[in-house]
Amino acid sequence: MTEDKIIYARPPRARRYVGDAVLRAEDECLLRGAGGFLADIPTPDAAEICVVRSTEAQAVVRAIRKERALASPGVIAVLTADDLDFVDDALPCLDMIPGTLDARQRVIARDRVRYVGQPVALVVAANRYFAEDASALVEVMYEPLPPVTDHMAAMNPGAALLYPELGTNIVYQVTQHDGNADFAAREGDLVIRRRYEFHRQTAVPLEPRGVIASLIDNGERLHVESCTQLPQMLRTVLAGAFGLRLAQVRVTAPRLGGGFGCKEMVYPEELLVAAVARKLQRTVRWLEDRREHFAATTQAREETVDAEAVVAADGTFVGLRLKGWANIGAAFGLVGNTPITAMGAMVRGPYRVPNLDAKMFSVVTNKTPLNVLRGAGAPQAALVMERLLDEAALSLGIDRAEIRRRNLIQPGELPLDRGATGFANANHIIYDEGDYPRCLETGLNLAEYDNFESDRKAAAARGKLRGLGIAMYVEITAVGPYETARIALQPDGTVLLFSSIMPVGQGSETTQRQLVAEELGIAIEQVAIRQGDTDEVPDAVGTFASRGAAVGGAVGRMAARELVKTILNCLAAELNRDPADLVWEGGGVSIAEPAEGFIPLAEIAARLGSLRQFEGAKGIEAKYRIHIPKPSYSYATHIAVVEIDPQTGRLEIPRYSVAHDCGKIVNPLLVDGQIVGGVVQGIGAVLRERIVYDPEGKLLTRAMMDYVLPGASDAPADFKISHMETPTSFNPFGMRGVGEGGSIGAHAAVANAVADALRDYDVAVDGSGPFTPTWIMEALSRPLRDPTLR
Amino acid sequence: MAGTDPTIEKMAWADSNESQTEIHVVVNGKEVHASVPDRLLLSDFLRERLGLTALKVGCAEGACGACTIVIDGEAARSCIMLAAQAEGAEILTLEGINAPQGLDHVQKFFQQDHALQCGYCTPGWLMTVYAMIKRSVHPDSQEVGQYLSGHICRCTGYRNIWTAVRRALGATSDEHVDREK
Repeated sequence: MTEDKIIYARPPRARRYVGDAVLRAEDECLLRGAGGFLADIPTPDAAEICVVRSTEAQAVVRAIRKERALASPGVIAVLTADDLDFVDDALPCLDMIPGTLDARQRVIARDRVRYVGQPVALVVAANRYFAEDASALVEVMYEPLPPVTDHMAAMNPGAALLYPELGTNIVYQVTQHDGNADFAAREGDLVIRRRYEFHRQTAVPLEPRGVIASLIDNGERLHVESCTQLPQMLRTVLAGAFGLRLAQVRVTAPRLGGGFGCKEMVYPEELLVAAVARKLQRTVRWLEDRREHFAATTQAREETVDAEAVVAADGTFVGLRLKGWANIGAAFGLVGNTPITAMGAMVRGPYRVPNLDAKMFSVVTNKTPLNVLRGAGAPQAALVMERLLDEAALSLGIDRAEIRRRNLIQPGELPLDRGATGFANANHIIYDEGDYPRCLETGLNLAEYDNFESDRKAAAARGKLRGLGIAMYVEITAVGPYETARIALQPDGTVLLFSSIMPVGQGSETTQRQLVAEELGIAIEQVAIRQGDTDEVPDAVGTFASRGAAVGGAVGRMAARELVKTILNCLAAELNRDPADLVWEGGGVSIAEPAEGFIPLAEIAARLGSLRQFEGAKGIEAKYRIHIPKPSYSYATHIAVVEIDPQTGRLEIPRYSVAHDCGKIVNPLLVDGQIVGGVVQGIGAVLRERIVYDPEGKLLTRAMMDYVLPGASDAPADFKISHMETPTSFNPFGMRGVGEGGSIGAHAAVANAVADALRDYDVAVDGSGPFTPTWIMEALSRPLRDPTLR
Repeated sequence: MAGTDPTIEKMAWADSNESQTEIHVVVNGKEVHASVPDRLLLSDFLRERLGLTALKVGCAEGACGACTIVIDGEAARSCIMLAAQAEGAEILTLEGINAPQGLDHVQKFFQQDHALQCGYCTPGWLMTVYAMIKRSVHPDSQEVGQYLSGHICRCTGYRNIWTAVRRALGATSDEHVDREK
């Protein structure tokens, strides 16, 4: 390169992207129907798999007869546990702390089934129709055993045991103490004791799961494509299951049609479909249908919590004593003990409550395994705390906003150690920066809290019952322990980010490109992104726990920062200059005396393109591995106003307000989208959805017709959002997570609003309902409450 | 049109003794003659045989609306209809509406209003909107809610979909989420 080729110019003023409501580039292909979801991938040579699933909740498998199925048209193979080779057939569980019993699920039933829907055999056929036909002809001889579906009954002496060798159905326990765990009520203190019940739910992403497995590279490597939030973990598990080296396994994950936690799992089918591809040496595909999904995809939320709150006469909470039991179904999910652990760890939210004595248990039952769903256990935790606050306010005659003010942690007390958690990946909860009182006041103002009583009266004049519910929470987000990213300068001057964060609908393509564009000072159109390929990013953590933007975005931005160093070094060598003479600014390099000037990135790429470093796989690129020792804690105030028609039991949500703080916001348009979407999921959870098993362990909700999801008419008519943006020092760019909070706050806010609307009736709102019209009509038939109690 | 190569799926049907039906349909303006197994779902015919994968299968029981297409001018569920039942019909899928590139005005409203997140349900919503436009549904009429009640979206909470749909139908007042800084 000669001096005269340097472009002498001033660096352009770079556009700022962080904080801007950038429209999503990924929308174009999605809106044209070309999203490239797993089922859209052309697989002309693939055989289709249908999974034969247990029809029994608890049984010994005596024999499996394949003959009739094998004779069915189009059938290629019928396979059972005996036909498939696994070095390790246990599915992983990440939260087995010391003392946890081994209730890990096996990929396929050998001699015993423990839930309806458990894989028992596989039919491989030329198409799905023939595979389903034949699957009905596989004869499985069951010897039924008594099932147990209720987790409280499963702990009784003499209850049927899922794992007789363990001698108990209680497979996990954790104790969580803070302050003085032996606290007791003093004279004049109020003691509230309640049992809260949380019903079983499921995520129902609109895209069911699916797996395609094939052998690649002359049959030497296994390629598994799956609808997973965790491609890198799946690769590790596949390698272990088959005794392969990591390099022999490639996992790719296409864009997901929603996940919400149910795709944060390593599933039996992911290993089984891979095993079939290895066994038959051909490409095979399994697409989950919706009926399967209800039985075979992890479920969520079900738990029982006994709470005892000691409250001083002024409304300040002295302590909480909790005992909780999760119904985790037949085996551990990947993080199936996390929700009940979150109850003790996060129940106190933004409230001081100096003393905590919590003991949590996981209980196995003959239901589909439980795992996380948007918010993990935080929705249940917030509901317990917020119901207790409203009960205390009612008993003590304190205004509901005022009792919260008296208990909130003040900004000056932060950061604050909230005690041991029992989580495998975070020893202590340490709240970062924030202003909880301001968040409450902002929410109250948004909701026009002070005017609500006149609102209630106006509704009453129309014959309607209006109620208002307040809920606050503090949520663990942006968890580590680490994440990795790679970024490469392309010959055309664009940069390509290889990210481990999966696109699940949250807009990670756009937010990550915003962060890189901001860091480099280039146009967002100059940043491309690739996601979901373990050949490109072999070592990473994945997409969950509201960590995509805050952790995945941070590591991508740090990788871009590293890329600048690489570029400066290469360019300095090329120009025969001291790297210290070169400064990155405005999307290019400014060079100091004696040859002043500015070279934009496209020009740098063109010039360095002739360099040896740019050739081959190495190229001009940078990698970064970020360590996140402490998660950061988002928080919010949710206020729901509900209106009940006492003639029909119909409940509407005319107004909903959210004041929240997720730290530095990358894209407010997408943050609002996460909040509204999460809130409506939470509304559906407490008003409509419920997974139902009969006492024999047969799943009764097996279709969308049975499991009622919120629809377009359930969206609150008036929805207000206020952003606070207190940066967190626990993240290099001040970001916290926001993906799950909407759901967390909505459970508690709606439950409190329902209780408030029905305050004249002697009815307990002790859990998640669901508060269906039937439930409401039953509540309205109760006797009126003693008016002096309200 | 894609999907004309023989696949193992198609060969297996041919090898079986199952009854097949000849159908003549117009798909996105093109005549299609095909022999289809009597029990082949229309959604599978369009996706697997013709490679028209914009329509999605979310429930296969007519509950979620992701497979919505337009048949003879009306929004319809392709997952609860047999291909053989479509004999003589004029079928429109999202591929038949897409401009050669980029987004049309309805699609642009969805993007601007952030009315999609994962995007899996989106083609179904769009087909319903096109059917509503064809029938000149008024943006303020109760019919809008009836049409929208046929779709499930798990991501957006519907609010932005309402906004985009009403704008696509010609509404002059926008309802947006209030945002206070």
